[in-house]
Amino acid sequence: MRGPARIAPAAPSTARPATSTRRAWAASVTAAWSLLSVRTAVAQMTGTVDLGVSTVHYDGFLPSGAAAVTPVLRWDRPAGMLTASGTYLRFESGHRSLQGLLAGSFLTPPAAHAWRGEFAASAGASRYLDFASFWHVVAEARLHRLGAERGLWVGGTAGTTSYGTAPRPVIAADVGVWARRSEVTLRLAVNHAQVGDTTYTDLESSAHAGRGPVALEAKLGARVWSRGGGRGVYGEGSATIWVGGRTAFVISGGRYATDPISGSITGRYLSAALRVRTAAPRRAFPRDPAVLHARGADGATVLRAARLEVHADRNRAVRLVVRVASAALVEIAGDFTDWQPVALGSASPDTWEVTLPVPSGVHRLDVRIDGGAWIVPAGTTRAPDDYGGDVGIFVVP
Amino acid sequence: MTLRSLLRAAVATALAAAFVATAAAAQDPRLGRLDPGTRPLVAVAIDSARAAGLPTEPLVQRALEGATKGAPGPLIVSAVQRLAADLGRAREALGPGTTPPELEAGAAALRAGAGPAVLTQLRRARRQTIAVPLAVLTDLVASGVPVDSAAAAVLALAARARDADLVEFRRAVERDIALGAPPTAATAAAAAAADARISQLNAGARENRPGRP
Repeated sequence: MRGPARIAPAAPSTARPATSTRRAWAASVTAAWSLLSVRTAVAQMTGTVDLGVSTVHYDGFLPSGAAAVTPVLRWDRPAGMLTASGTYLRFESGHRSLQGLLAGSFLTPPAAHAWRGEFAASAGASRYLDFASFWHVVAEARLHRLGAERGLWVGGTAGTTSYGTAPRPVIAADVGVWARRSEVTLRLAVNHAQVGDTTYTDLESSAHAGRGPVALEAKLGARVWSRGGGRGVYGEGSATIWVGGRTAFVISGGRYATDPISGSITGRYLSAALRVRTAAPRRAFPRDPAVLHARGADGATVLRAARLEVHADRNRAVRLVVRVASAALVEIAGDFTDWQPVALGSASPDTWEVTLPVPSGVHRLDVRIDGGAWIVPAGTTRAPDDYGGDVGIFVVP
Repeated sequence: MTLRSLLRAAVATALAAAFVATAAAAQDPRLGRLDPGTRPLVAVAIDSARAAGLPTEPLVQRALEGATKGAPGPLIVSAVQRLAADLGRAREALGPGTTPPELEAGAAALRAGAGPAVLTQLRRARRQTIAVPLAVLTDLVASGVPVDSAAAAVLALAARARDADLVEFRRAVERDIALGAPPTAATAAAAAAADARISQLNAGARENRPGRP
C-alpha cells in the first residue's frame, strides 16, 4: 500500500520498506503471478509518480497534514523484479524528509512439484530534518510451492539496520499461504523478527480484488507478541481507480504497526493521491509497434524489421500483410504453408501481402527478407520455438 | 553368448528395423524434407501419436518447422515427441471429444504455463469450440500477462464471447500494454470493457426481438 501518510516522522516515506511479513506477502503475490508465467520472455519497465496529500497521526505526536511526491520505477522480468523508489515529504510544519529504497528479487527456475526458490534483497535509507537518519540492508531467501489457485511459502531474512546508532542485526522468519478465486486474492502469514534486542511476532491477513479499472486492497493484522516492538491490531485499506490508461486516483487509510527494520513508528493516516504512470522508458516488448528492429528467429541476430498484419475474411481466406522498408523479396513460412517459403506480392513500396487459406486457431510463422535469416515479425507474439530460437504466434478467429 | 541369445537379439533387431521401416514407409510424404536419419524416428513418434488417437498434423508441422530452420535431427525428434506429450496432456484435461485444433491450442496453453484445471474449466464454461479462447490465453501469457490473470479474464469472457470478441479483447490488451499499462491491469481493463460490450450487444439483441402478442 502506498498511501503518502504511511510515514513516521523519523522515517517518512510512502514507499518505506515493508516489514518482513509485508515483503513476504508482496513477494508471494509477485511470485504467485510471475512464477506461473515463467515462459514469458519479455521484460517490462514501468514508472509511476504519486502526488498526494494526507493527514497523519503518529502515536505520541500531534496530527499533521503532509504533501508527498513518490516516484517508483519497476523493472519486471519473468524471473525477477527490481524496484527503485523515493519519497519527498513536506509536513504541515514545513519540515521535510527524504527516503529511498532499492529492492529486487530473483526466482529460481521451476523445479519438480511446483517448488520455486526466491532470493531477494533490499536496501533503504531515510532522513528527517537533521537528526533522524535510518538505513537498512536485508537479504531474504524463500521457498514457494505454487498451485494454480493457491500456494504457500516459507522464508528467512537476515540483514542489518541502523538509526544513527550502532547497526543492529536483523533476523526474521515467515510462513504464509495464499489463495486466489476469480478476482480476489487472500493471504495469511505469520512473521517472527528479531531486530537487535527487539523481538516481535505478527499475524497478518490481506485481500486484494481487482475488477476493471478499480483495485481494492485491505489488510488486517495483529502484533500478537512483542518485546520492545509494541502490540496491537492494525488494518489498512486502499482503493485505486484508473481513469484512462495512465492516471489513477488512490485513496488509502488505516493504522499500521511499528516497523523496527525501517524505523517507522505506529500511526494512523488517511490520504488521497493522484498517480501518473509514466511512459515505459526501456520497455522491450515483442509487440511494441515502435520496435525498429526484429531479432532473428535464432533469437540473436539483429535484422531488418518487419511488421505483420492479419486480415481474416469470413470465407477463411486470410490476407497477410507485411510492412517492411526497402525490400526486394519478402517471404513467409508457417504451419499453414507446411513451413515452405511463400513469396509475398508487392502492394506498394513498403507493403507486401498474400492471401492464403488459414484455419481458425493459433498459428506459427516467420518472415524472411531478401533471402536473409528467418525473423519474427512485429505484430505477432514472440515465443520460444523448440529449436533454440523464436517463432511468431498469431490467432485467427 | 549362446546361439539362442544371438538368434533372439537378431530377431529383436529385425523386428525393430521392420517397425521403423514400416513406419517410415507409411509416413507423410512431406516428411521427405527431413534427413534420412531423422525421418523414421519422427515417423515413429507420429505413428505412436496416431495410435493414441492424437492429431498428427501439428507434429508434422513441428517437424517441418525444424527442417525449414535447419535444426539438427535429434532436436526435431525431441520437439515432435514433446509436442505429442503436450497434446496427450491437453486431451486429458479437455476430454476425449476434443477437436484437433482445440488439442493443439490446449497443448500450446499448457506449454505457456496454464494448468490443466484451467483447460478443464474453459471446456465447462463454453459450449462452442474453445480453440480460440485457448489461443488467446496462450497469446496473452506470451505477451507478459501472468497466467492467472489471463486465465481469469478468458474464463470470464468465454461463456458469452464470440471468437471475434476474444480476438478483439486480446488486441485491446496488446494496445494497452504498448501504451504502457502493466499486463495485468491491461488484461483486467480490457476484459471489463469486453464484458460490457458483450452485455450491451446481448441486451440490444433482446430488445430487437419481437414481443409477445
